[in-house]
Amino acid sequence: MRESSTVPEDVKQRLNWLSIFIVICFSVLVISLWYLQMIKGEEFKERAVENCIRSLVEDAPRGRIYDHQGKLLVTNRPAVVVSIIPAEVDDLEKLSEKLSKIIGISPEEISQTVKNYRENPFKPVKILDDCKTNKIVEIEERKDELKGVVLETKPRRDYLYHDFAAHSLGYVGEIDKEELQRFSNPKFQGGDIIGKAGLEKYYDDILRGEKGGKEVEVDALGQEIATLLYQRPIPGKDLVLTIDRDLQLYGENLLYDKKGSIVVSDPNSGEILALVNRPSFNPNIFANGISSSDWQRLSTDADYPLTNRSVQGVYPPGSIFKVVTAIAALEEGITDRKRKIYCSGSLELAGQVFTCWKETGHGSLSIVDAIAHSCNIYFYTLGKDLGIERFNKYMQKFGLGEKTGIDLPAEAIGIIPSAQWKEREVKEIWFPGDTINLSIGQGYLLLTPLQVHNLIAAIATEGEIYRLHLVKKIISADGKTVKEIKPEIYKKVDFSLDTIKIIKEGLRQTILKGTGWRANIKELAVAGKTGTAQNPQGETHAWFIGFAPYENPEICITVFLENGGEGGEAAAPIARAMLEKYFNIKN
Amino acid sequence: MKERLDRLTENLDFTLLFAVVFICFYGLLVLYSSTRLAATGESDPYFFVKKQSLWALLGFILLTIIIFFDYHNLERYSKVIYFGAIILLIMVISTGRTTYGARRWLAIGPFDFQPSEFAKIALIAFLADFLSKNKPKLDNFFYYLLPFAYTGLLILLVFMQPDLGTSLVYLAILIIMLFVAGIKIKFLAFTFLAALSSIPVLWTFLKDYQKNRLILFLNPNLDPLGGGYNVIQSRIAIGSGGFLGNGIFSGLQSQLNFLPAQHTDFIFSVIGEELGFVGTILLLGLYAVILWRGIKIALEARDLLGSLLAAGAVAFLFFHIVVNIGMAMGMLPATGLPLPFLSYGGSFMISNLIVIGILLNVELHKTN
Repeated sequence: MRESSTVPEDVKQRLNWLSIFIVICFSVLVISLWYLQMIKGEEFKERAVENCIRSLVEDAPRGRIYDHQGKLLVTNRPAVVVSIIPAEVDDLEKLSEKLSKIIGISPEEISQTVKNYRENPFKPVKILDDCKTNKIVEIEERKDELKGVVLETKPRRDYLYHDFAAHSLGYVGEIDKEELQRFSNPKFQGGDIIGKAGLEKYYDDILRGEKGGKEVEVDALGQEIATLLYQRPIPGKDLVLTIDRDLQLYGENLLYDKKGSIVVSDPNSGEILALVNRPSFNPNIFANGISSSDWQRLSTDADYPLTNRSVQGVYPPGSIFKVVTAIAALEEGITDRKRKIYCSGSLELAGQVFTCWKETGHGSLSIVDAIAHSCNIYFYTLGKDLGIERFNKYMQKFGLGEKTGIDLPAEAIGIIPSAQWKEREVKEIWFPGDTINLSIGQGYLLLTPLQVHNLIAAIATEGEIYRLHLVKKIISADGKTVKEIKPEIYKKVDFSLDTIKIIKEGLRQTILKGTGWRANIKELAVAGKTGTAQNPQGETHAWFIGFAPYENPEICITVFLENGGEGGEAAAPIARAMLEKYFNIKN
Repeated sequence: MKERLDRLTENLDFTLLFAVVFICFYGLLVLYSSTRLAATGESDPYFFVKKQSLWALLGFILLTIIIFFDYHNLERYSKVIYFGAIILLIMVISTGRTTYGARRWLAIGPFDFQPSEFAKIALIAFLADFLSKNKPKLDNFFYYLLPFAYTGLLILLVFMQPDLGTSLVYLAILIIMLFVAGIKIKFLAFTFLAALSSIPVLWTFLKDYQKNRLILFLNPNLDPLGGGYNVIQSRIAIGSGGFLGNGIFSGLQSQLNFLPAQHTDFIFSVIGEELGFVGTILLLGLYAVILWRGIKIALEARDLLGSLLAAGAVAFLFFHIVVNIGMAMGMLPATGLPLPFLSYGGSFMISNLIVIGILLNVELHKTN
C-alpha cells in the first residue's frame, strides 16, 4: 500500500537542480579525463617512460669550523657518489656486471641495492660513496654503455686534523629513521646529513644550511639537456671556536697514550681554550658512513674512545674537593686562619678510624698548610663539624649536581650525595662517616671534570663563574658576523673576601711547598691543588686544578687522568707543561 | 518480523547496494595493486587489503544495523548525536594522537579512529532534523544563520586539528542541504559574497603548509621538488594510462612506489595509470549510479526529514568524489580528501558505508 510522499514541491525542485549540478560536474570530470588520457595520453606516456624530467637535490655545504684565530679545523671537500637511477635502467643484471668491473663491488650487491630501494624510481640509488678519480674517469668514458648510472658530486665533511678535538667537534652522519620521526619536519628527508655528536649536533641548525635542487630535462642517455628550474642551496653558517688550535694539539700530545682530559679556560669569560679528551677517534670515518666493523670496534673499546670524558664522564674528585670543605668551614665559622689541628696520622671519629695519607702525621697545621699539604685529618675534623646539610648548601653554590651549560650535547650532572639521596638510591640512612669521606672528596660523590673546573674558576675570579663555552662567533658564509657569544655569568658565589684570600693562599702554598710542587714555574706564579682519588675501577685517578698568574689570573686549568696515579706526580707536570706552553715559557 | 523482511525485499534498493558492493571490490583490487610492493616493512603483500576488507566488513555490519532503525528516531536523538560529535572532536584536540603535525586520531582500545569522519554523519543527521522541523522559519534571515553557527562550531574544532579538507566537507554538506531545504537563493548568494570578501581575513588564519598548497595549486611548477610534485606526477600517471591503461599491477609510476600517498589520497592516479580511461570511466559510472539512486531516494522519500537525510548523504559522497578526482587531475587544490570506497582508511570506509545505510533506510521507509 503506497502512501503519497509529503516532501514539499520546492524541495523536489531543488533536488532536480542538484542533479543537474552533479551531472555538470561529472561531465567536466569525464571531459578532463578524456583530454588527459585520450588526447594527451601518448605525450604523458612518453614523459613517464622516457622520464625526460629528472629532479636532483643539491645539498647545502655545511658551515666550516675555525679556531679562535681563524685557523680552519673542519671543512667540506667534494666527494663523487656513484648512483643508479632505477627508472632509467633497461637491464639491471647486465648493468650491474659492467659497473662491477669498474668499481669493484660485486654485481649481486649492486643489483640487490637497487632492488631493495623502492621509494621514488627517479631518485638515484647510492652504489658507491666517495669514488676514486681513476674510476670516475672510466665511468665518464663509458657513459653510453652505462645507461642509468649517474655521478653526483656531494660535499663531504672533512676534519682536517683527524682525531683532533674530536669529542668537541663531534661528527655527522645520515639521519636515521628515529630522528626523522622525532623531528617530523618536512625539511628533513632520508639520506640527509645531520650532526650526530658534539658541536656538529649542538649547532646543527646553524651549520646545516638549506638544501636546494633542480629539475633538469634529460635525453634517453641521461644527459642533461636543459635546466628547467634551479633553486640555489643556502650554505650553512660557520663557527669560530674559543679553542686555540696549538694549545689543544699540545695538550693532546701530552695525553697521547693516556686516558683523561684537560680543560683550559679563561675564567674571566668562560671561553674554553683547550678541551682535551683521550683516547680519541677520527670523525672522518663517520662522514663516509661508518662501516659496521669500525663502529663495532669504537663502541666496544674498553677505553671508551667515543666518550667525552670532560663533559660526560663522572669521577670522584678526591682531595681537590677539600677546597669546597675549606670554603664551607670558613664561611660557617668552624675554622679560621688561626685554628690549628693536630695530625697524628690517624683519627677516630664516630667510632671509626680514619687515616691521613701521610702515615707519620703532619703535626700541628693551620688551614693554609692543611691545603698545601692536603692533610686529611684537618678536613675530616671540619667535615664532621659541618654536617651533610651545610655541605650540600655550598656544593649547590658552585653548580655541582647541575649541568655547566656548556654548548655540547649530553652533558652529565654527576652525583651529589645528600641524606635524601642516600635513602632514595642506596636505601640506607646517612652516617656521619659518609660526611667524613665526603670532606676529602671520596665516597658517593661523582663530578665531571667541567664541574671541577668551575670550582677553580670561582676561586680565580673571586666569586664569578662564567658559563663555559666553545663557540665564540657565528659567521655567515660571506664572512659577516651573525652572532657573537658574550660572556655570561653562570653562578655568583657570595663568599667573603677573607675566605677567598685564605683559599688562594693555600693554593699558592700548595705549589710553592706542598703537594703541587711539580707544577711550580719560576717565571710564573701558579696556584693549584692536587687530588688522588680512590675508585672501584683500580688505580687512583690523578687530578690537578690551578690558575695563573696568581694575581689577576688569565687562565684556569684542570687535568684529569683516569687511573693515572698520584695527582702531584702525574697530573701536576702536565698542568705545568700546558701553562708553559700558554705563557710561552721556554726551559 | 516477517512483515519487515517482506518490506525489505520489496523496498530495498538493490541497484544501489550492488553498485556499492561492486565498487568496494574494485577498490580492494586497486588497493592490492598499489600496496602489494609497499615498503612498509610488512612482508605480507595483502597487509593493507586485509585491513581494508576488515573495515569494509565492519561497515557492512553497521549498514545492516542502521537499515533496521526507523530514521524518524532522529527527531529525538539528533541533538545528542550532534553534541556527542562535539565532545569527541574536543577530545581529539586535547588528547589525540599526532601524525604529521596534526591531531586527528582518537584511540579506542587497539584501534585509532577519526572522529571528524563520524562528525560528517552527525552533521547530516542533525541538519536534516533541524531543517525539516524549521523549514517555514528559514525564510527569516536570522533563522537561516543558525545552521551556520552549528556547523561553524564543528568546522572550528576540525580546523584546529588542523584539517582544512574536512572542514570544507562540513561546509559543502551544509550548503547543499540548505539549498535542497529550499533556502532563498538570495540568502545563499549573499552568504557567498560575504565569504568571498572575508577570504583575505581567513588567509591569515591558515597554516603555512595550507597556504603553500593553495599557492602550489595555482602554479604547481613553482616547486616541482616539493609540494607541487604530487600533482605533477599524479597527472603524468593518469595521463600515461591512455585508453586501456598499462594493465593492473603494471603501472610504471605506481608499481615503483613513485606516487606519494598512492593508496590513500592519490589512489585515483593508480586507476588512471593501470586501468586507463576505461577504468576511470567505469569508476565514475559506478559513482554516478550511487548518486543517481541517492537523488531518487531523496525525491521519493516519505517526508522532508528523509529527503534531507538522503540529500546530505549525496552531498557528502559527491563532494569527496569531485574534490578528490579533481585534485588528482590537478584541477583543484590538494586538500587531502580521500576517495569514497577506494582510499585506504578505516574510519572513512566505515563512514561511507554508514551513509549508504542511511540512504537504504530512507528508501526502506518511504511507505508505511
